[in-house]
Amino acid sequence: MSFQPNALCFGDEFSATGLPCLVHVEGHGLTMTFLSDSDASERRSESVPFAELTVSAGGLDHDQLVATWTGPTGQRTLYLKNPDVIRAFRQAAPDHLTIPLERAAEQVRQVRQRRRIVWTIVGGALLASVLGLWFGSDLLVELAVDRIPIEWERKLGESAYRDFLARQEVMKEGPAVAAVTEMTHRLTDQIPENPYRFEITIVKSDVVNAFALPGGYIVVFTGLMKKAERPEEVAGVLAHELNHVLQRHGLERIVKQLGFVAVLSIVLGNPPGLGGVMKQLGVELMTLKFGRAQETEADLTGLQLLYRAKIDPSGMITFFQRLAEKDEGRVEWLSTHPMSAARAERLKIELDLLPRREPVPFSFEWRTIREK
Amino acid sequence: MKSEILYPGAFPMVRVELAEGEHIKAESGAMVACSPTIDIESKMEGGFLGALSRKFLTGEKFFFQTLRASRGAGEVLLAPTVPGEIVVLDLDGVSEYMVQKDGFLAGADGVTIDSQMQSMSRGLLGGEGFFILKMSGKGMLLLNSFGAVHKIELKPAQEYIVDNSHLVAWSTTTSYNIEKATSGWVASFTSGEGFVCRFRGPGLVFIQSRNPGGFGAWVRQFIPVTE
Ligand SMILES: [Zn+2]
Repeated sequence: MSFQPNALCFGDEFSATGLPCLVHVEGHGLTMTFLSDSDASERRSESVPFAELTVSAGGLDHDQLVATWTGPTGQRTLYLKNPDVIRAFRQAAPDHLTIPLERAAEQVRQVRQRRRIVWTIVGGALLASVLGLWFGSDLLVELAVDRIPIEWERKLGESAYRDFLARQEVMKEGPAVAAVTEMTHRLTDQIPENPYRFEITIVKSDVVNAFALPGGYIVVFTGLMKKAERPEEVAGVLAHELNHVLQRHGLERIVKQLGFVAVLSIVLGNPPGLGGVMKQLGVELMTLKFGRAQETEADLTGLQLLYRAKIDPSGMITFFQRLAEKDEGRVEWLSTHPMSAARAERLKIELDLLPRREPVPFSFEWRTIREK
Repeated sequence: MKSEILYPGAFPMVRVELAEGEHIKAESGAMVACSPTIDIESKMEGGFLGALSRKFLTGEKFFFQTLRASRGAGEVLLAPTVPGEIVVLDLDGVSEYMVQKDGFLAGADGVTIDSQMQSMSRGLLGGEGFFILKMSGKGMLLLNSFGAVHKIELKPAQEYIVDNSHLVAWSTTTSYNIEKATSGWVASFTSGEGFVCRFRGPGLVFIQSRNPGGFGAWVRQFIPVTE
């Protein structure tokens, strides 16, 4: 039969690791069986009567039963943690050990309870702060975002932008690029004290999409341009995306996520994957889904920007309505910009409140651009 | 399972021989080379965030990999990330060790690794986070250190004071208190943080002769600051 030790015995002549031993509880006391140092098959035993024992709780978590006595070879200390042995010990122990045993058991209970309470409080506080950052406290996020310099935001967006464009077929010149440039200039000229240098790229793809990265990087897909019947519709999307940048919506989302990650990284020490999280964030910049409040804000400020730029804002509204109708094509813009009929309605009401103004048409012929 | 430490000293590597069907759990990134009969099972499915949430929900460890000799016997070469010694411990089924997260290199199949919340005070003051590894069971356990490993043997009730950042592993028969180093000690400890552990025997405490945090700070002063 193999030797299955259930306790560690410490003594002057043993090594500091303690000697594994098999403890039996008997009527008169404890018997420990050790393997001989020289021959693993040979065993030797030691016994100690209950009368000579003193007991206490010990070990790292104060959850082990420690029995000490003075044997013929000096001081002995026995560390027990096997629950069966401890139970047998408590049942067999004579009266003079009952009180110290109860005291040790009480100590173990207290330590466990204290730990439980501390961790419940910490866990609760942690959960509250995670949930707080995750869902509510937009104010906190805004405060944090305000402290981030534009330059950092630009660097963050730029790396994701270059990364994305490296894998795409980009339209470098031609009438479409000229048209989008003209629209952008009309719009950005109406932004007072604009801290961003906007960069807009047209990507050749049938996907109906456009997105803005933090720092002023905007991508428009040719699929979206093909879907637009009037240039004012594309300008509407641009005005919306420009305002995601100006209101720093992307940064707000990132700070929310980082808040969560930051809490995790404190809990885990410095996790080996913090770099991985940052990479993950870079990927998520592309698929950044804005919140409903952010969409509404970008819609309304976008509408005002169109109005100031003397671009017919009804283009934005009709385009949103057309995109919201479920039809053919891969309309990915909707996956990052959740669309609802209410959005277009809201814009209509807003537009009716503004005094009528004669729009100034663009210099290019949209139909020829669209057909190309 | 047999192991042999190659190139003992600052840049050691360990060779572990696995019989068919045996496996070893290693810190992810510890594997240097292995026989073609060894399968590497990484537990990072679902990406980092997925693994992280799984860890939180199920307690599954996400920084280990399993090297399994599923297609016949073979050998694995393992090495730690940092320069420093490797120690081999043989767990006997009763002795248990707490190992700080960066101290674990690998463990045999019979070794049980539990990721545990450590005590509040050490979690807050130790700078290693709240998770610590508890090793129990039977079989070979490989630890690594930054610098050389020094073993402190404590008799019952014998005390010893160790700087927090130098701890690698300690027996669960020891107990300790976290103390603030008083002004008298501060000079004698390399860490500027001033928190120490007062260990009380019986048991073993493994410490490392270099402090990773202190080394990092030392290196940083030579890195030119660029815009
Ligand atoms: Zn949007």
